[in-house]
Amino acid sequence: MITVIFCRHLLKYFRCQIQRAMAKIVILGAGISGHVAASHLRRKLDKTHEVVVVSPNSNYQWIPSNIWVGIGRMKSKEILFPLAPLYKKKGIGFMQAKVTSFYPEGDNETEKPFVVAEYVSAEKRGQTERITYDYLINATGPKLNFEATEGLNPGTNKAYSVCTYTHADHANEGLQALIAEMKKGKEAKIVIGTGHAKATCQGAAFEYILNVEQELRRQKVRDKAKITWISNEYELGDFGMDGMLLSYGSNIMKSHEMVEMVFEDRNINWILGAGVNKIEDGLAHYETLNGEHNSIEYDFAMLIPSFSGHGFKAFDKHNNDITEKLFKGFMIVDADYTPKPYEDWTVQDWPETYQNPNYKNIFAPGIAFAPPHSISKPRKSPNGTEIFPAPPRTGMPSGITAKLVADNIIDSIKNKKEFLHHKGSMGNMGAACIASAGFGMTKGSGVSITTFPIVPDYKKYPDTMGRKLGKTFGEIGLAGHWLKLMLHYAFIYKAKMKPFWYLIPE
Amino acid sequence: MTQRISKFKRFVMMNPIIQFFKFIFLSIKVLLIVAGGHGGTRKEGY
Repeated sequence: MITVIFCRHLLKYFRCQIQRAMAKIVILGAGISGHVAASHLRRKLDKTHEVVVVSPNSNYQWIPSNIWVGIGRMKSKEILFPLAPLYKKKGIGFMQAKVTSFYPEGDNETEKPFVVAEYVSAEKRGQTERITYDYLINATGPKLNFEATEGLNPGTNKAYSVCTYTHADHANEGLQALIAEMKKGKEAKIVIGTGHAKATCQGAAFEYILNVEQELRRQKVRDKAKITWISNEYELGDFGMDGMLLSYGSNIMKSHEMVEMVFEDRNINWILGAGVNKIEDGLAHYETLNGEHNSIEYDFAMLIPSFSGHGFKAFDKHNNDITEKLFKGFMIVDADYTPKPYEDWTVQDWPETYQNPNYKNIFAPGIAFAPPHSISKPRKSPNGTEIFPAPPRTGMPSGITAKLVADNIIDSIKNKKEFLHHKGSMGNMGAACIASAGFGMTKGSGVSITTFPIVPDYKKYPDTMGRKLGKTFGEIGLAGHWLKLMLHYAFIYKAKMKPFWYLIPE
Repeated sequence: MTQRISKFKRFVMMNPIIQFFKFIFLSIKVLLIVAGGHGGTRKEGY
């Protein structure tokens, strides 16, 4: 009898020890950042630790290929796959739900920190659940803030988006319908660019306009179209990164000269410093940096909306609102948010570990973190409207920052103390933008641009516009298309966590 | 339309043989830049 009681106590003790050692990591979002973090955590942590992904999306999508879906050269099913079966196979928990509020101190009922999530899957729709965690990775990305521009709603007013695969499908339907009319003789006006004064992601719009132009040539209706680029950039080729000086063959040129060369060669007009503020059926209204209010007619438009945070709320253990300790639109991390003039901005302002300074077990890699400021120089119209791009954070930095956050969490768990040795500031990180300029194995084209660092470091590289030449270069040609296509297949392979997926860099 | 890319340059840009070698070169160069490391900026001489 005594032996049985002793064994029971011993068993209980070991169970407690295991539970104490076991960590639960909750990842919000299953985009590039969330999925990268989840896959690395699962691979490197043993199964006593729990990895749970909470995402309202049932599918993983490789967003960079939406461009090709938007011109009908790729099917949306080729760029996505369902998450649930993969996560089940790999031992990653998955909840198809959207998070609504954060309780980083727990509350009266729940001692551990938790988030409240509302299920969106058909079988549990509307049910809420408290999800406790030891570590939380907020990889929720941006909210596509269409409502910030009156009348901008994908698929209405002849204006479209390519931000998601469903948007891209709609855009393709709209484009193909227009091409059919053009084949019957219609003269068309096409407008592509940014749909808000503070929008970002000019790169995606840049790719789309070149792909649409090539598609019109392929379908032999190019002569019937007037194509216009409209953007909140001060100069072409700003891309929300303050432009760049790059090596192009044996020349050194500014990015605006390169993009200008491509647009002129393809007969694409441009309107710059334009903050689109209202969309009507076939009519886009915008304010320019010199304060004029203009409008442009179109038969087909693709306009990138502004991005915003998701409007999450946060509460302390007494249920007091502490949203400002966690969010500043996006999530607050280890950046320097002190307001400063453009001239005083430095790369040191940008975060290194993506850790929230108030709650050390919360991280926000990818697009979910609040940037300290824009990268492009802020500009205002005489009417006081700010018209300049918000900072872009594309797939590559999203993947890199997610991996370093995962590595820091893994090391902290293994060392049983906070471990933040993995760092990756956008001021000390390179990125490649392989922009498609047309689809086709022999007729395709791509503009390959790499930049180092992403955030210009004017102190370290004072004579080259803040970037390291050689590591910042541009190339145009068929090879760029092959490269983008190769990356499409490589990253989908990696995302599916097929053998040796982890050897492919982010 | 203003022709900003010469016929020779366009030939180089679209020639599959030349572009195959360019593809190899670009792949390696992009890999080196991207996998070439990243880090913080707040330590002296980062």
